[in-house]
Amino acid sequence: MASKQTGFARWADAYAQPDSRAWRAIEREVIGANVGANGYTTVAQAEQLAGRLALGPGARLLDVGAGRGWPGLYLAERTGCDVVVTDVPAAGLRDAFARTRRSRLARRASFARASGAKLPFRPRTFDAVVHTDVL
Amino acid sequence: MRAKLSVLRACRQLLRPGGRIAFYTIFIPPGISREDRERVLRLGDPPEVASAAEQGALLRSAGFSDIDETDVTGEFLVTARGWLGGRERFAAQLRRREGAAAFDEGQTNRRARVAAIGAGLLRRALFVAVRH
Repeated sequence: MASKQTGFARWADAYAQPDSRAWRAIEREVIGANVGANGYTTVAQAEQLAGRLALGPGARLLDVGAGRGWPGLYLAERTGCDVVVTDVPAAGLRDAFARTRRSRLARRASFARASGAKLPFRPRTFDAVVHTDVL
Repeated sequence: MRAKLSVLRACRQLLRPGGRIAFYTIFIPPGISREDRERVLRLGDPPEVASAAEQGALLRSAGFSDIDETDVTGEFLVTARGWLGGRERFAAQLRRREGAAAFDEGQTNRRARVAAIGAGLLRRALFVAVRH
């Protein structure tokens, strides 16, 4: 009998699953790229976020509930902004960290394990905040 | 509702004056029956997502202004169908990876979510607002 997980546990489990060829093929088709996404925000929608938030070099972006770093890391790579990626499941953050090591983002990305209601940052620290289907 | 508001307030506090928040959110539109609402809540999204609360009102309560909403429900339906169909095509591999019971439960939820979006019981929108 299938166990009934909470939404949070389901997402946390999804982050713990290793990538597979099948998963990457589906993600590429649905989201538009392999970016560690398992939700509904496509690459085209991430581009909209970049424009609406007026991101660029020197701006500081906070991505709340970023999972594997999507779309925060993409936005940093695309616009040149700095990003802080936060979420609760450690597996997702580990994956996000590994992604920055494979790209040129290491100096512009940082990570914090924190929930949206208890964000461990000083007031007036960021130029923009993004989250996708967290609330 | 209270959890959403506290996150939005925390976000506002962290933004510099003039800073912006942008987020995609899934929600239940107002005016649907209690039965439909409960059906949608059973789909397994985090409870904070599955709320009929007015996003604009929450943003205003949190202290944001210049609130703009763009409905993306059509794209949401395409993406939800994409995950469902894609996972079905790779069902054999994904069953081995996730376990048959978890895979089947997930697909049942995805089918129900696609049906709920198509029936107008779930919406998705992009909200953008400014912290003055």
